Amino acid sequence: MASINVNGVEIEIDEDGFIQDPDKWNEDVAKFLAKGEGVEEMGDDHWKVVNYLRDYYLKFQIAPMIRKLCKETGFSLKYIYELFPSGPAKGACKIAGLPKPTGCV
Amino acid sequence: MPEYKGMAQPVKATVEDLKKLRLVPVPDEKKVEEAIRLLDEARKKFRSFVLAMESCVKCGLCAENCHAYLGTRDPHNIPTNRAELIRKVYKRYFTLEGRWFGKLVGAEDLTLDTLEQWYSYFYQCTECRRCGSVCPFGIDTCEVTMIARQILYWLGMVPKLHVGGGWGIERVGNQTNVAKPAIVDTLEFLSEEIKDEFGVDVRFPVDEEADILYVPSSADYMLNPYTLMGAAMFFTYIGAKWTIPSFMSEAGNFGLLFDQRHLMRHLFMRLHDSAVNLGVKKIVWGECGHGWRAWKMYLPYFVDRPLRWEITHLHDEVAYYIRTNQLKLDPTRNSQPVTLHDPCNYVRACSPAGPYGHTENMRTIIRAVTVDFREMYPNREKNFCCGGGSAVLFDDPEMYQKRIQFSQTKADQIRATGVGKDGNGILCAPCSICKAQFYPMVEEHELGVTVHGLIDLVGKALVWK
Amino acid sequence: MAYFIVQILPYIAVTIFGLGLLFRLVRWAGARLLGTSHEITLAPFPQSPFQAGWVFLREIAFFRNVFFFDPSLWVGAWPMHMALFMVLGGHAVGFYFTGHQFVYIGMSPELSEYMSNLLGSVFGLVLLLGLIYLLVRKVSLVKTRQVSNPSDYLHLIFLIAIVTVGDIMRYFPQYGMHYEEVYEYFKALILLQPVPEFVFHNWFFITHMLLVQCLMIYFPFSKLLHLFGMFAMRWIENRVHIDPEPGLPGVDVAAARARGTGLPSAGGTA
Repeated sequence: MASINVNGVEIEIDEDGFIQDPDKWNEDVAKFLAKGEGVEEMGDDHWKVVNYLRDYYLKFQIAPMIRKLCKETGFSLKYIYELFPSGPAKGACKIAGLPKPTGCV
Repeated sequence: MPEYKGMAQPVKATVEDLKKLRLVPVPDEKKVEEAIRLLDEARKKFRSFVLAMESCVKCGLCAENCHAYLGTRDPHNIPTNRAELIRKVYKRYFTLEGRWFGKLVGAEDLTLDTLEQWYSYFYQCTECRRCGSVCPFGIDTCEVTMIARQILYWLGMVPKLHVGGGWGIERVGNQTNVAKPAIVDTLEFLSEEIKDEFGVDVRFPVDEEADILYVPSSADYMLNPYTLMGAAMFFTYIGAKWTIPSFMSEAGNFGLLFDQRHLMRHLFMRLHDSAVNLGVKKIVWGECGHGWRAWKMYLPYFVDRPLRWEITHLHDEVAYYIRTNQLKLDPTRNSQPVTLHDPCNYVRACSPAGPYGHTENMRTIIRAVTVDFREMYPNREKNFCCGGGSAVLFDDPEMYQKRIQFSQTKADQIRATGVGKDGNGILCAPCSICKAQFYPMVEEHELGVTVHGLIDLVGKALVWK
Repeated sequence: MAYFIVQILPYIAVTIFGLGLLFRLVRWAGARLLGTSHEITLAPFPQSPFQAGWVFLREIAFFRNVFFFDPSLWVGAWPMHMALFMVLGGHAVGFYFTGHQFVYIGMSPELSEYMSNLLGSVFGLVLLLGLIYLLVRKVSLVKTRQVSNPSDYLHLIFLIAIVTVGDIMRYFPQYGMHYEEVYEYFKALILLQPVPEFVFHNWFFITHMLLVQCLMIYFPFSKLLHLFGMFAMRWIENRVHIDPEPGLPGVDVAAARARGTGLPSAGGTA
């Protein structure tokens, strides 16, 4: 299995670049993963989305409904795609250290 | 990784992934031997499979009736050639002519390369059954695909995506991995959304004793808010005592797609137990194509106890209440041009003929809740697949490209209806896999439509006062 | 050699043909599950045995799927198969009644024989043209080349050879055999008696017999058994399936609307 090295810590990632152990996530990891998703600089809005996803995940062990994400952050889906070109599920969730979504999504 | 000797392949599940489903992969050096043994078992068991192996005349009719071949022009995506990947092995080991005149009839030894070829091409089949429907003899390549995928799974060759879903099923009861707290949270959120948008009080009862067990697709919790909202509004409108089970929170059934023997049955038993525990009288199914096929056509033969409940599809129920004039609907609330994508599993695997079959029921509903409905051609049981069927929803680059190609025929069909001409069209695709496939595909093909379920439109059109 | 072909081989060919068919069909029947582990009924589901029968009939008699989904295949396939059934039937009836079968519907013996000859000529030609059309199609289309094995071409070439020899005997009476002669020949075969002397002199007949017997020997082991396969497959797929009645328990829409379920003023849900 592949891994990335952030500040001297080895973190395992799967074939699609999702980190395997969500506990190893921190802001530096997020910044590192963001570069791979076409996000050069994590601005406040980026953090707002990522932190919301992270908090929701810690509480419910799953990403929120996309509609809820938009509502709670106050961003339109279009704006979220502007923030994260690879989309909320594959881009933002990956940066927030969530596992890859499965099922019919 | 997602390529093997030039063949695109979905990312495979790892040994650790498979361990979650308590499956030990067969080591490479034993794979061939084991595959032949499993194939022998399958041919002694399923007559549909034997006939698919032995009565094809290679007329080639299926080729241009398969969206996968039309989109990729890859000869192995011709349905009969896809089956030939197994047939050549079948002939070699199980028929006289194959043993004696191998070259002449195209029989071949099984090798690891062939198994990789199976893995590549049987996950490019979307199990839509269009080839079975148009074949002069009714040869159902979907059966072959299902058997191939089951064997590959037992060997340890299965996409990560499917195993992830399978693990979710065993862990929390659905393939999206949504556990009860998240379900309740999402449904409470949607209750507020309904209040905001439609001004009505609609509650989503979870795990309550009720008359009706409603089983939505778990993907709805992530992607399809209006499908959940529409169903809840319908049940509230008619004053039903209904509930959503959290123990079996999945209208789909990934077991059908790669492990019918265990996983499919596992989910069936979860439904059975939920129905007993909640004391329901009838089970109503949500918008999911492959799942509806599993529950409708497989459940009675797979579940471990006799079934005490009738199971119907939400569309059939809504159509019934529309036909009997019990719903007040305002179609002008869905005034945009609409076209209907017939999910393959409804129209080719689950619908009775006649005006009250599922196929016509969908039309009864859509005509009642929209003003500008346009059929796409061909439609009904002749319809083409969305290109994502059987959860071929892979997003690694090679397979994603395939998905775009698989949906090419569908995109042409949608464009021909003209609904997206002004960029405000609605593509009604009442199946979770179709929706998940179309959300990105309508963008890739620039179709100018938004994707909705059928029950979404019903919810919007209900007149409450 | 000729003696072997016309006197010995027929018994071998018929035996292999019969046992081979039995072997193949028993093997199909031995795969135990058809519609009992799961149903793979094709939608739209027939709602009565009559409707299911109609599906069988339209596919078998008219090749409906081929007509709608690959018309250019239908143009060759349907006439070819129909002509094949007529020719096979014509052989049986024509030789049994020595060309006088139409006497039973009121024709004179001469007219009957003329009709028999005419029908044989017409269908023999249609059959040949149909087979050639199918072979040309198989060779010229990319998709059919992609799906075909060598044996798939050989089947067609073999059938063309049989029909060509048959048609030569049909169109050139000097090479043919008359109804009574064939009748005598088969009578001798069936009664296990020595076959009449004259068959040894007609090499077209001997060739025709040889090819047909080869076909009979390999027929049960080939895809040519698709006629039976079609019945077996459709028996699994085209069957009656009735849905449960719609209508939900404990639901009274009129009462619910009168109560105003869902409306905020009604104070909540049902």
